[in-house]
Amino acid sequence: MKSSSLHLNLLKQNEKLSSSPVRLRVMLPVGALLACAGLLLWWGVLFTQLMMTRAQAKGIEEELDAKRKEHAEVIKQRDLARELKLQLEQLDYYKAGVRSIGEPLAKLAEVVPLRVQIKDLSISRPPAQILQPPNVKVPLFGPTENVETQKLVIAGLTTKETPVISLMESLGSGFDSLVTHDHRIKSYRQDNAEADGKKLLSFEVEYTMPERRFAK
Amino acid sequence: MKLQLTRTKTIEIKLPGGGGPKSATDITGVEMFSPDCEGCHAVRIVYKKKAWHLAAADLIAGPNGELPSRWEETPHQPTWELPHAFQSPHAALAVNSTMSSFSQSTTDAIVQDMMAGLDAAPVVSAPPKAEPGKRRFGLKKESAPSAPPPKPAAKPEMPNRKPEFPKTGESVSENGRRFVTRPMPEAGFHIYASLPEFQTLWVSRLLPEGRRPTASSIQVTESALMASVFLQPEFKAADGNALVIFARKNAFYFAGYKNGEPALWMRCPSAGGTTAMRNAIKKTLGVDEELVDSVLNDSLIDPRPALEPFVRPILAQLELSLAYLTSKHGLKFDHALLMGLGAGVEHWSAFAEDSLRLKLIAPDPFDGLIVDKNAKADGADGHLVALGAAIAGAEVSL
Repeated sequence: MKSSSLHLNLLKQNEKLSSSPVRLRVMLPVGALLACAGLLLWWGVLFTQLMMTRAQAKGIEEELDAKRKEHAEVIKQRDLARELKLQLEQLDYYKAGVRSIGEPLAKLAEVVPLRVQIKDLSISRPPAQILQPPNVKVPLFGPTENVETQKLVIAGLTTKETPVISLMESLGSGFDSLVTHDHRIKSYRQDNAEADGKKLLSFEVEYTMPERRFAK
Repeated sequence: MKLQLTRTKTIEIKLPGGGGPKSATDITGVEMFSPDCEGCHAVRIVYKKKAWHLAAADLIAGPNGELPSRWEETPHQPTWELPHAFQSPHAALAVNSTMSSFSQSTTDAIVQDMMAGLDAAPVVSAPPKAEPGKRRFGLKKESAPSAPPPKPAAKPEMPNRKPEFPKTGESVSENGRRFVTRPMPEAGFHIYASLPEFQTLWVSRLLPEGRRPTASSIQVTESALMASVFLQPEFKAADGNALVIFARKNAFYFAGYKNGEPALWMRCPSAGGTTAMRNAIKKTLGVDEELVDSVLNDSLIDPRPALEPFVRPILAQLELSLAYLTSKHGLKFDHALLMGLGAGVEHWSAFAEDSLRLKLIAPDPFDGLIVDKNAKADGADGHLVALGAAIAGAEVSL
């Protein structure tokens, strides 16, 4: 069996006071105020941080823009420098590829036999360089091949075969800078010209010139 | 804690230890402004290990002030600190006031009482007699007894509206008085307590906030008396069906309980209290006050010739109460509890058996409690109201 207690309490619920030294009716509003203040402070800190971050981001963006321009200038300068360097390199290649044939040609007069009249000395044109290969926008400055081979064709008249052979033997030594040993007689035939009542012979000898190397 | 959001909207937050509906397990009961003694009877009870313990019981110094008898006196508000042994979280204060009321009545009668408000309060006609040279804690003696107590300023005229009958156990303020009611087993009847508003407010502020204890309950003494038997083994054994005679110095009360619910409360008419009984013995037998107890307890002198004329009318009234409990509630008793009498219980019981076939048992008020070794359990009859206040404040139930 259960029954309720006999408690006729004249004290109202809202008149009851807490015996706890921590007064909740004081501490709750204080706590709430502190919590609000804390939240405001936190919000303030967040807002300040946001503002600082925004200012920092803006600064970084501005700096980045400036640096981007500087970087483009640097890239441009580097491209220019590289281009100039390449040009210089090409010049070096050409410099290395310079062939001195004046001196051997001057010397050639000394070894030409009496019975030989040289009518033509021609050097064949080198093969055309592909200076703008496909997929390359900017044309190249220098040769695409490092090695260039040319032919020296000596055409002349003679009375007989011997002086020509003699000339060829003479060219075989001491003219290394002008011709190699690789040669062939391109033509050898009767010419219409006469000398001392005799028909002259025309000949063409083709010499392979030493390789012209475009290298440092 | 109640927070008023708007004028009409209020939310209530129940905080731990904030005086919610949960029963207190450590409470001090105090009887205040008793006219019978100097000081206040205080009892501290603690519920531990599934049993109620008496942690402390003593007569302690009262508050530094007297219970106001007028609204104008309420600004003089003292604070009160109880001794260390009684510093429990909660305190249940039982107030002796000549302006209080406690009775059983019908709904209409209670509403009439509520309408009358302070006018219905008993007139302060007999201030307590103070012994010369001793300070009394009780109702303040009026300087001009002939002057009627002034009406509160807040109540210039009688209200026309009929007050709503309060909900069970809910304390309401009406016309300058505080009311609390509780239904009785008999349909249409309620038991109710009331105290002037200014006295309730004054008492409620005695124990300051933030210090142990604070008031969790304010009761009138009769209400506390009625609750004082709730822990009695006899009361529990009878499943809360009991007839109890409460002996006080100025009155005898009959209380009937049905299944632990109050079924009867009556002040024995035309009979004084134990003081009157002792005076009768002193006058008839010609003994001094110091010898009255030994006359009542010892068999050397037969006190019955002096006691019988005093007891018989009381037993006659008790017979009426018995008849009421039997006819209205079907309760039959072969014994009744006699609380607070002190000496002479055997003679009372003999008279009751003779006339009513009713045996009177006078248990120790602290029966049903485990008395801690540091608690002083002597003089338990004096602590009856304080104990009842604590039991009611702890909302002990069967």
